[in-house]
Amino acid sequence: MMCVRCYEDTATRVANAPDGSNDWEVYYCQRCNFSWRSTEEPEVIDPEKREAYFQLKGVDLDTLLHPVPIPPLKPGIKL
Amino acid sequence: MSPAEAMSTKEQEKATVAHRDLRGFMETLEAQGQLMQVHDELLPEPDVRGYMRAASQMENDGPAIVFDNIKGYRGQKLLINTHGSWANTALLFGMPKKTVLIDQFHDLSKKWDRYPGEVKWVKNAACQENVVDASINLYEMLPLVRINPFDGGYFLSKASVISKDITDPDNFDAQNIGMYRLQVQGPDTIGLQALAFHDMGIHLIKAEELNKPLPVAVCLGAPPVVSMMACSCLEYSQSEYKMAGALSGHPLEVAKALTSDLDIPAWSEIVLEGYVIPRQRFPEGPFGEFPGSYSGVRGQNRIKITKVTHRTKPIMETLYIGRPWTEHDTIDGLATSITLYKQLKASMPEVAAVNAVFNHGLSVIISTRNRFGGYAKSVAFRLASTPHGISYAKNIILVDEDVNPFDFTSVMTALSTRVRADKDVAIITNTPGMPLDPSSDPPGMGNKLIIDATTPAPPDTMLREVRMVDAVPSAENAAELIRRFQEGFAAHKG
Repeated sequence: MMCVRCYEDTATRVANAPDGSNDWEVYYCQRCNFSWRSTEEPEVIDPEKREAYFQLKGVDLDTLLHPVPIPPLKPGIKL
Repeated sequence: MSPAEAMSTKEQEKATVAHRDLRGFMETLEAQGQLMQVHDELLPEPDVRGYMRAASQMENDGPAIVFDNIKGYRGQKLLINTHGSWANTALLFGMPKKTVLIDQFHDLSKKWDRYPGEVKWVKNAACQENVVDASINLYEMLPLVRINPFDGGYFLSKASVISKDITDPDNFDAQNIGMYRLQVQGPDTIGLQALAFHDMGIHLIKAEELNKPLPVAVCLGAPPVVSMMACSCLEYSQSEYKMAGALSGHPLEVAKALTSDLDIPAWSEIVLEGYVIPRQRFPEGPFGEFPGSYSGVRGQNRIKITKVTHRTKPIMETLYIGRPWTEHDTIDGLATSITLYKQLKASMPEVAAVNAVFNHGLSVIISTRNRFGGYAKSVAFRLASTPHGISYAKNIILVDEDVNPFDFTSVMTALSTRVRADKDVAIITNTPGMPLDPSSDPPGMGNKLIIDATTPAPPDTMLREVRMVDAVPSAENAAELIRRFQEGFAAHKG
């Protein structure tokens, strides 16, 4: 299903209410790592109502800043 | 005599022995009217967030709150605001709940000097009563809530993360216990933000240089003294466990993790064991951070969880962080203040107290004797060169040694009557800054503001000749009599 943040078809249901009540489900996007619950406020889980500032539509996630850069390998160490 | 001094050391230690686990501390909080139980049916979002925000804003006496009827998680317990007020921090260390901050500061400062405290290894640890190593689904196993509306997911905001240097695994003191933000990213994976200047950042780099997974243990509902130490800025070679033992006055009990050689607090409620995936980064964030603004989406480390252990009927713990004032400020405020105080005091014995409770020490007030003209400013330079102060301490206020830096009225009076801006205010430009501070631009760069509100000392001169009004020695005794009158009146009315 479509992720409400990055709009890609990369989200799946990952959890149901564990008490068996079926009160909610949780969804997770494997691309942008956003998680959301079906009972959350519309401004959080409805892509039409989410603030544009927090959306990732069209953002190349491979170019995100890495606050902790990957260090060079020690001599003799292979990937 | 301060309220903290009024309790004997023995009484205090008796209280803190009972706090070897979260449950013992919850009993103390309940007996003191500092634990609220909410049995009403609530939605995870936004209902729990409302309680979190409200309780942590009550800086002086906000209670801890335990929920047991969250929709979808009925029967699972979620505890918030355990360290969320100065009343709760006082009770944690066996002090009366109304103990003022300066007295809490001096009491903890004395206990700090008992370092290293004892660490005791135990078998059959409570935190390993139950073991789950298949079908791990954190969304269902833990009562998760979205802390701030635009967080990128459900964050574990009060987790003590344990790691070692894999090139020096027998160095117990270099084992690190740190509280880092963790974002649940799928049923058994967690995003991790441990920055380069954090102690865990050292462990991450060493593992990645060798392309090896870094074993970690994520402890939820850790013993409350351990949680506080996980937020402190101890030196790299200081053991958080030994400091926890020193502060509580009894051995800190640890056990070996089941999937690694890590030492974990034996009385933790829940332990997530796993490893950091080397040399890969994954989208993480945003997250409402301690300066009150959202961090961006960044490429961060990821933990793979392979085993979960927990006490029977575990209590999940989380804290509100986001729009200040929050539990983040109270859980790390005193520890940050004392760490900086000890580092200053080591080379500048004139320093009397340090208040770094504001936003993890972005603003700091130091009381010090101004030994000679300009000396107080030198104390500020020393603060700005401590490991934590380099990037955090951006607003530094100096007051005389007889001014209580935790008392707003006293500090404002010092600013009002001691400062002449042309000679007492200095700005040092283009210094390191704290990247999460929204005024740090570019992130990581900043300025230092120094305000010297101490009384000038020779060869500097007072602005003009005046005579200062002395303190009134007999007022201390009178204040105690007034306090007793008020307490007696309140008890009579109650």
